Amino acid sequence: MATLKIDNLEKRFGAVAVLRGMSLEIEDGALVSLLGPSGCGKSTLMRIVAGLESPSAGTVAIGDRNVVGMAPEKRNIALMFQSYALFPHMTVSDNVRFPLRMRNAGGRPEQTERATEALAMVQLESFADRFPGQLSGGQQQRVALARAIVSRPDVLMLDEPLSNLDARLREEMQMELIELHRRLRLTTLFVTHDQDEAMSLSDKVVLMREGRIEQEGPPDTLYDRPASAFAADFMGAANIFPATLSGSTLSLGDGALSFAVPADVAAIYCGGAAVLRQEDLVLTDVPEDWDVAVPAKIRTRVFLGGRARYRLTANGLDFLATVAKRDIAQADRGTHLAWRFDAIRFLPR
Amino acid sequence: MGGATAGRPRGFSVAWRRHKEALVLIAPGALVLVLAFLFPVGHILVLGFLGEEGVSLEHYAAFFVDDYYLGVVGRTFRLAFVITACCLLVGFPLAYLAARVGPRARILLILLVILPLMTSVVIRTFGWLVVLGPGGVLSDFLQAIGLTGAPTGLLHTETGIVIAMVQVLLPFMVLTVLGVLQRQSADLEEAARTMGASFWRVLRTVTLPLSVPGIVSGSLIVFALSISSFITPTLVGGVRLPVLAGSIYQAATGSFDWNFAGVQSTLLLLTALAVIIPYASLMRRRTSWQTGAAPGAGHE
Ligand SMILES: Nc1ncnc2c1ncn2[C@@H]1O[C@H](COP(=O)(O)OP(=O)(O)OP(=O)(O)O)[C@@H](O)[C@H]1O
Ligand SMILES: [Mg+2]
Repeated sequence: MATLKIDNLEKRFGAVAVLRGMSLEIEDGALVSLLGPSGCGKSTLMRIVAGLESPSAGTVAIGDRNVVGMAPEKRNIALMFQSYALFPHMTVSDNVRFPLRMRNAGGRPEQTERATEALAMVQLESFADRFPGQLSGGQQQRVALARAIVSRPDVLMLDEPLSNLDARLREEMQMELIELHRRLRLTTLFVTHDQDEAMSLSDKVVLMREGRIEQEGPPDTLYDRPASAFAADFMGAANIFPATLSGSTLSLGDGALSFAVPADVAAIYCGGAAVLRQEDLVLTDVPEDWDVAVPAKIRTRVFLGGRARYRLTANGLDFLATVAKRDIAQADRGTHLAWRFDAIRFLPR
Repeated sequence: MGGATAGRPRGFSVAWRRHKEALVLIAPGALVLVLAFLFPVGHILVLGFLGEEGVSLEHYAAFFVDDYYLGVVGRTFRLAFVITACCLLVGFPLAYLAARVGPRARILLILLVILPLMTSVVIRTFGWLVVLGPGGVLSDFLQAIGLTGAPTGLLHTETGIVIAMVQVLLPFMVLTVLGVLQRQSADLEEAARTMGASFWRVLRTVTLPLSVPGIVSGSLIVFALSISSFITPTLVGGVRLPVLAGSIYQAATGSFDWNFAGVQSTLLLLTALAVIIPYASLMRRRTSWQTGAAPGAGHE
């Protein structure tokens, strides 16, 4: 266990700059998720921390050791590969035992016992004697996860650890990861494409864009106060409109929709776009009850487990709204799209 | 019920069609094999058992009572083992390097390895005569660094044969092992490094075990080629160091004793199989993780 400190990291592959000055500090025992579109450099960052790639500039420190130039096997980290990288010629149990064996951690019986424990955590203890080629993709992914956590490294890095699991199993593994983290307090960095997962698992979310950090902070901050349209979009806010304020009248979408706002809303306007989160919008047939209500036409509705998502048009603007299950019947009768003033967020220009 | 009865003839006809396709596909190869290989080989095998009047074992008796011929067999196999081992020792690192460098360096390395294949084995062997001979480059070099006082040379020694043969057969080992190493994802080695294994430990615990199929095929090819080769051993080794293939050639074209040539050919074939079959099956067991793969994971 140790802090991970990344300072001004740059990485170029030939002429292509993949990381362009990343600085990031992960406190001892923190669980940080790395979010960002495909190709933004998440795996590259992890490979540099692991020592598989050397940085073009900048430093990486684990605890108080600067590890740049240090061989990967000396770093006491674990990296779960996006491709799993299971050894096809070893049984599941031997795969999971491998990090312990290479680090001479205890005798063979103890290693096997710890491997079995890790396999139990991912619910695969009965598969210990199989070979990876005899497992499904999701099972292989869980073996890789068990192998990453088994040695209790200083820094644990997981590259999309749960991407290949079905919804139920994924939720269970998320719980397991949270419990494991509570128990062991391993400094953990994990990549995910799923912002819900990032929100539910981590102490801090780091959003990357083209080799730089776009925004970082506690999950609710990123969610509630995105610093840019990119961040808002990535955190799942679907309704982003260019906004202008004149006096107390706010215009969205180049004047397509205008309404009066109170002084406290006008005060936070900062020159850029306005964001309305999907779940802050309601469909109603009593517009008088709401601060803002616009006649709207429902175009499509899709069910998402406990919620339904509506695509609507109001005043020529497209909106997405998410409605909880118990409100669906009411929403279907809705004639107006409505929201409260405090649902409005602004982005700087 | 209906589905099951309807399914069977269809399944059968699919299987039959596949069968027919397979037959058509192997027909040309099978024809060549029968005409150019099985027929002449069978003929030679029969020759060994033909005496003056009908079937007889007299040629075999003549072979086994003569220490000279047993020595030839011993030398042939001793050389083949050493040559195979040397090809592996030299070839594996080369193949590993070629598999892990960039694409351009890989092409260069491969070219370097197969370049000798583009010249005739006779010419290459004459080259070795020049290098290994008493007044040759090697002799001069050994003298220059003070290892030997007088002109020496490895001509007419088993060491000389091994050196020349390793050069001739190296490409077969390198290319076979390279094929396996290239299919092996570099992720595995990198992952092992992050788990605390040094470069050498990764080589031992991950790379080598995964290369066993390539090492097996490479060794079998090199072994089979070296026990049956005769130009290089005959030219470099000379008359005092005959090998089985050279001895067969001698019997067939020198003394026109086709029956005796047949005996030696049969023994060459049998002893080779006696080495190759157990080796291959042993190695197959070592790589059982491959055959135990799940459906869809692809078999080799
Ligand atoms: N060895 C390499 N040589 C050249 N370019 C590379 C190399 N490795 C990665 N890249 C490039 O660097 C960029 C970032 O790659 P990286 O794998 O870090 O992305 P990522 O954020 O992990 O994406 P994903 O979410 O799809 O896994 C990509 O554009 C990729 O093409
Ligand atoms: Mg990646």
